[in-house]
Amino acid sequence: MSSLLGSRTGHPALEIEGLGYRYAGADRPSLTDVSLRIEPGEFIVLAGGSGSGKTSLLRAACGLIPHFHGGELAGRAVVAGRDVRESGPGELADVVGYVAQDPETQIVSTTVAAELDLPLRFRGDHPAARARAVEEVALALNIPHLLPRTVTTLSGGELQRVALAVALVTRPPLILLDEPTSQLDPVSGDELIWLLRRLNEEWGVAVVLAEHRLERCLAAADRVIAMDGGRIGFDGPPAGFLEYAISTQPELATPSALMFAGAGLSPLPTGVRDARRILRAQGLEPDSEIVVGDTLAGAPGDAVALEAKRLWVELDPGEGPVDVLRGIDLLVRTGEKVALMGRNGAGKSTLMRAAAGLVELEVGKIEAPGGIALLTQNPGDFLVRERIGDELSGPSGEAALRAVDLDLPADRDPRDLSGGERQRLALAIALAGRIEGDALPGLVCLDEPTRGMDRGLKDHLTELADSLADQGAAVLISTHDVEFAVSFADRVILLGDGEVVADAPMPTVLSGGWYFASEVARVLDVPELVSVAQGIEWLEYVRSGGEPS
Amino acid sequence: MKKLSPIAYVPRRGTVQTASLGPVPLYLGAYLLACFLSSDPLVLIAATVGASLAGYGCGAARAVNFSLKLGAFLALTMIVVNALVTSRGATVLARLGDWPILGRVDVTAEAIAAGGVIGLRALGTMVVIGVWSACVDPDRILKAVHGVARRSALTATLISRLVPLAATDYARLGEAATLRGPGANPVGRGAMAHRLLAGSLDRAVDVAATLELRGYGMGGGSARFKPEPSRFDRRFWAAGIALMAVALSELVLGAGRFDTYPELQYSFGPDAVIASVAFVAGGFVTWRRGR
Repeated sequence: MSSLLGSRTGHPALEIEGLGYRYAGADRPSLTDVSLRIEPGEFIVLAGGSGSGKTSLLRAACGLIPHFHGGELAGRAVVAGRDVRESGPGELADVVGYVAQDPETQIVSTTVAAELDLPLRFRGDHPAARARAVEEVALALNIPHLLPRTVTTLSGGELQRVALAVALVTRPPLILLDEPTSQLDPVSGDELIWLLRRLNEEWGVAVVLAEHRLERCLAAADRVIAMDGGRIGFDGPPAGFLEYAISTQPELATPSALMFAGAGLSPLPTGVRDARRILRAQGLEPDSEIVVGDTLAGAPGDAVALEAKRLWVELDPGEGPVDVLRGIDLLVRTGEKVALMGRNGAGKSTLMRAAAGLVELEVGKIEAPGGIALLTQNPGDFLVRERIGDELSGPSGEAALRAVDLDLPADRDPRDLSGGERQRLALAIALAGRIEGDALPGLVCLDEPTRGMDRGLKDHLTELADSLADQGAAVLISTHDVEFAVSFADRVILLGDGEVVADAPMPTVLSGGWYFASEVARVLDVPELVSVAQGIEWLEYVRSGGEPS
Repeated sequence: MKKLSPIAYVPRRGTVQTASLGPVPLYLGAYLLACFLSSDPLVLIAATVGASLAGYGCGAARAVNFSLKLGAFLALTMIVVNALVTSRGATVLARLGDWPILGRVDVTAEAIAAGGVIGLRALGTMVVIGVWSACVDPDRILKAVHGVARRSALTATLISRLVPLAATDYARLGEAATLRGPGANPVGRGAMAHRLLAGSLDRAVDVAATLELRGYGMGGGSARFKPEPSRFDRRFWAAGIALMAVALSELVLGAGRFDTYPELQYSFGPDAVIASVAFVAGGFVTWRRGR
């Protein structure tokens, strides 16, 4: 059998030499002179901004490049002794597993059991061997209860776990994952990372994990490869990567590393445990008795932007009706910036959809007296034409583009815009005609806008939220990204199973916990202390022997 | 929260779901054939009732009810359309004068009856398709077809996966169109269809890439599908053969039993009663004792 072929035959899990690649019709190459070697059993985090070449590198390592995507390929990539030029993705399927960002398009069967069985069947395994492999991988990933389920009934987290199980069922020596946590809540995301680490340690699978939210996975990594403009910018241990990031690509540095660097502490920590160890060693042990005051920025206006009273919403996903929202009471005022958080399926999207009148209410009421503009999870859904001028025109279109600070020629194709620009354009489409004079609608909602975004794009989104709030709108953003919530929100509403479980100023909710807490909060464990800037200030005070403010 | 289509396959331990792929198409195919071949209203109603009972017996009540609703709507539409566009028939019930495009419109009892027969065919066909869709695992069909017609299996796989994805995309695009500000240019149907098609092509590429990664193009295992026998196979073989014989006999014996034009003629005989009883009784084949 070919399981663990790489380690058994002495080949590296992946060896790349002078790899260059340009997609068909692209102006510039996606990969340039990339060389690396991954040994069996290594856990590697692949870092880099959007468009830096992470996905192309993963595609080349599983044979999709060049066999599926075409284009021009230079150099060579060898997976467990097999050259990707000579072996296509199907032939490499038993030596490399690939998990893409969107789990919905990675599932092709009706039931989970059939999906896990499919690659084994294609490989021609004996039925008994197939049954054993399916059972084993289901047990390893803790999904045996999902085996008889139809894939259409699975949540995003469950789908991602099934996609991972399918990639592992042939027991490949190498597994590649492209931002697998981007659609997962903090709990599911952490579970997935540590599941990968466990499989890496117990099964000896080499893991290459492309991620934007590095604070989640750096502590699990043996090595980090950072991509920069299609080239390898850094290849080394996590601690060295953080030094590189601080000096060369600060947007890749984790919050705790930024905090340490800002406070002049070294070495830079690769995770919460590491940071706490370093602080203890330097006599800066966090003290949870200290209370930080005056952390709430901005004061809400008087006008009501959103009011929900005893709101119950019931949906039927096909297996009987479920109460998705259960007795929600909520008041949001104009000018507030609110992060809506909670596990996958907690009811965040449904609450926004209820506010926009897209779902029927069972009991209670929800009102947005000043009007509402809602941007759903895929901004591309709003962009249906090939010219910006065909999407938005006239004074109302111009006012909407001004509101989102977008100044683009009318004949530009929306598909040619960057991810951030497309998002702003989609929001402008939602706002068009809802702006009276300079006044925005009372409530602007964005549903999961940071999926797949790098730090730079998130910073732009934070600026946009600030700008919208300054113009008088209440901004309600649902997000799984705790660090993003820290950067933009002054209030957090935490939903759990359709109910509001916490509703308080952002620093109160996002400190003192484990999952719904920023990395700085988890390191320092000081109430209300959540941001990098606060952390630096706190560390400087403590080091100088003074009292924190 | 995702909503499951009423006719989507749901794994259950029902008789149709666990029976082999050989006898089930024969059994349900007999009902389908009856709907296509017979023009006797009694037999068509009996075939629809039998197919519905078959669905209820194997836990596909939701699919049957949905199909009945949709089929009834189609049947009514066909009756109305046929009554308006066909002026044949001796028994004029109403003279509606001259209409644009349609010209002179006379509503006849014969046209209504003919529309009713077409509607009953559609109703029965919808129920059989609903039961098939909700009870027969598409994965098993694809595995069976993969060994003998790989390209067809690939196409079928892509379609079976893309249909729900396209439905999800359509719902999302429709929602986004609703959420556009009143000052944004409205989304025309053409632009929407273009966007949906472009998105579907992207989706198809992703799904095809996934199949490649699963090893679809590899030769191994392509001819290794072995049907798994079930203890319900014998009853479905027997019922399928018997009902298929009844359906084919309808082609011969039922011809001319019910004529609509120029005037309604129905020669009621024991053969129609026997066929109807057979189709209704055949519906209980999917039922299990004690349920």
